[in-house]
Amino acid sequence: MSVEAKAAPLVWPEEEDPREEHLLLDPRPRAELNQIVLDAMHRSGVGFWLAVTVLSLLVLIGLGGAWGYQIYKGMGVAGIRRPVYWGVYITNFVFWIGISHSGTFVSAILRVFKAEFRRPITRGSEMMTSFALIVAGMYPLIHLGRTWRFYWMVPYPNQRQLWPNFHSPLMWDMLAIFTYLIGSTLYLYLPLIPDVAMARDHSTGWRRKLYRLLALGWRGTEAEWHHLRTAITIFAFAIIPVMFSVHTIVSWDFGMTMKVGWHSSIFGPYFVTGAIFSGVSAVATVLLIVRKTMKLEYFLRPEHFDAIGKLILIFSFAWTYFFFADYLTEWYGGEAVGKELITFQAHGPVAPLWYLMLIMNIVIPWLTLWNRRVRRSPWGLFLVTIGVNIGMYIERYIIVTGFLQRNRLPFDWGVYNPSLVEVLISIGSLSLFILLYVVASRFIPLVPVWEVQEGQITHSLRRIGRALVPSVAELE
Amino acid sequence: MNDTTVLMALVDDLAPVPDMLDTLREKGIGDGDIAILSGVPYPERVLGRPMNWERLPLISASGALVGFLTSMFLNAGTPMLYSIHVGGQPLIPLPPTAVLTFELTMMGLLVSTFLGVLWESTFPTFGPKYYDPRITDGEIGIVFRCPAHQTGEMETALMAQGAQEVTEPEEHVL
Repeated sequence: MSVEAKAAPLVWPEEEDPREEHLLLDPRPRAELNQIVLDAMHRSGVGFWLAVTVLSLLVLIGLGGAWGYQIYKGMGVAGIRRPVYWGVYITNFVFWIGISHSGTFVSAILRVFKAEFRRPITRGSEMMTSFALIVAGMYPLIHLGRTWRFYWMVPYPNQRQLWPNFHSPLMWDMLAIFTYLIGSTLYLYLPLIPDVAMARDHSTGWRRKLYRLLALGWRGTEAEWHHLRTAITIFAFAIIPVMFSVHTIVSWDFGMTMKVGWHSSIFGPYFVTGAIFSGVSAVATVLLIVRKTMKLEYFLRPEHFDAIGKLILIFSFAWTYFFFADYLTEWYGGEAVGKELITFQAHGPVAPLWYLMLIMNIVIPWLTLWNRRVRRSPWGLFLVTIGVNIGMYIERYIIVTGFLQRNRLPFDWGVYNPSLVEVLISIGSLSLFILLYVVASRFIPLVPVWEVQEGQITHSLRRIGRALVPSVAELE
Repeated sequence: MNDTTVLMALVDDLAPVPDMLDTLREKGIGDGDIAILSGVPYPERVLGRPMNWERLPLISASGALVGFLTSMFLNAGTPMLYSIHVGGQPLIPLPPTAVLTFELTMMGLLVSTFLGVLWESTFPTFGPKYYDPRITDGEIGIVFRCPAHQTGEMETALMAQGAQEVTEPEEHVL
């Protein structure tokens, strides 16, 4: 019996053309790449102005009105009462710090590991980091009540020559957030310089003046590129431990107390994992909107959302692992207050939220993201990632406000319901984040064009046997 | 007396650039008199250019040291300036000191790296410079200084190797 070998196709079947699939195998002239990004920046129709108006109003109501009212009337207008002194302000603080992990993770870690799919999505996620940190940084001030006393944290001695106590977790927090905010903003700006130089060369009027200032006189000489690349490498490696430290320190705000449920050594990695989980999910949500509204389909392709979807699934596994490890330890210990906390979550007033959190963070991602079609479907991934962030917000809400409702002695038990002021401030800060992003997207090239072109130069199709396979060259 | 002139060759492909550089060297132009402008980073070995000594890591390390020393002052110096002894507690506890030391050292490292880029690249400079806006549209520019009498010879040689144009560039206010 003769076996007739079936010849493998010399090229990919049409539906699997790697040029359609992979951005880096689908090069276009640089001028065309520039034009796509510039067109996206200049696109501001009715929808854009409507969004800006509505968001500005919400910011005005939430941060101007509600926060102003709280400053005028005092903290009594917030829902925090004994024993729950940390309410949605601290929940929001933890949540936004978590969102800020998106940029560093997507940009720095993927850069260090040379994950090529990162190229068009780094800028969009780095912007999220900076804006999320600005919003997060507001919350300690809001929570402070007497916001004008903030300067007491600034490192200089008071009139009695006493310095702030730098060994207090509050100071760790402030320094970690400042370090991360400064670091991640510089890390956003450095790779942006060649792209604003590109925008400078293609702009007129006030835009040219702005880009001229931001481009610092960039020409693209070898020396300039050399310094920039070295700096980006240093930043990529240095910002990763800073990122880990920030959310670890936030977790220590809880872990350093003797409160049951909070006093846990696992809180550091648990918080960091949760932060990356919610941050990467937020990247997917935002980029899906950006792709649609700014018509960046050429740059942001299903392959990118496919890769982000896989990351979200992996971090869902990791988050579940830490969640369960923390839960099981408490449950198996059987200590009375711990048992009460577990009962409180599973059967108490927060039970609906607790189960919703498990559904959003575990059940839905596990049931959907294993499927390539869901990961590549804009609506599918959009809904899953929105769900993850709802779930992660609930997780923070339960940890912050739920655990404080049950203490060692029943006389110190209580109930917490956020007041209208707290809700309005929360909506205002969410609107501020979106507003900053929407406005910045019209000034900042959202796709790092030079990084994409660099990737396109190094990628090619190589024939191995009878197949053409994507291949990447190392320039450095 | 000005007996040299500056020329810029524009090329739309990287392939002939290393050969063009060899040609310039053969005609007596040193690497110090040549600059490559491009819209994407090409490492020296790709262009066949000598490796540059990079001071940036040193600047970053110095910044980290400054951050470390600042943290030492805040951690250890300030409690000693006005000592308040609390029973059973050390004046300078090591674990919290480690946290602050890490953050301030990293802040020093990151800020100095950024400032190092500005310093090393002499940014910001907005004055007139040899430049062509087509660089950010993907063209590669070879800017070099040569004796004035060699201008025609250089132009012919580079055009033969694939340059789109070889001209005396304008100085652009960036």
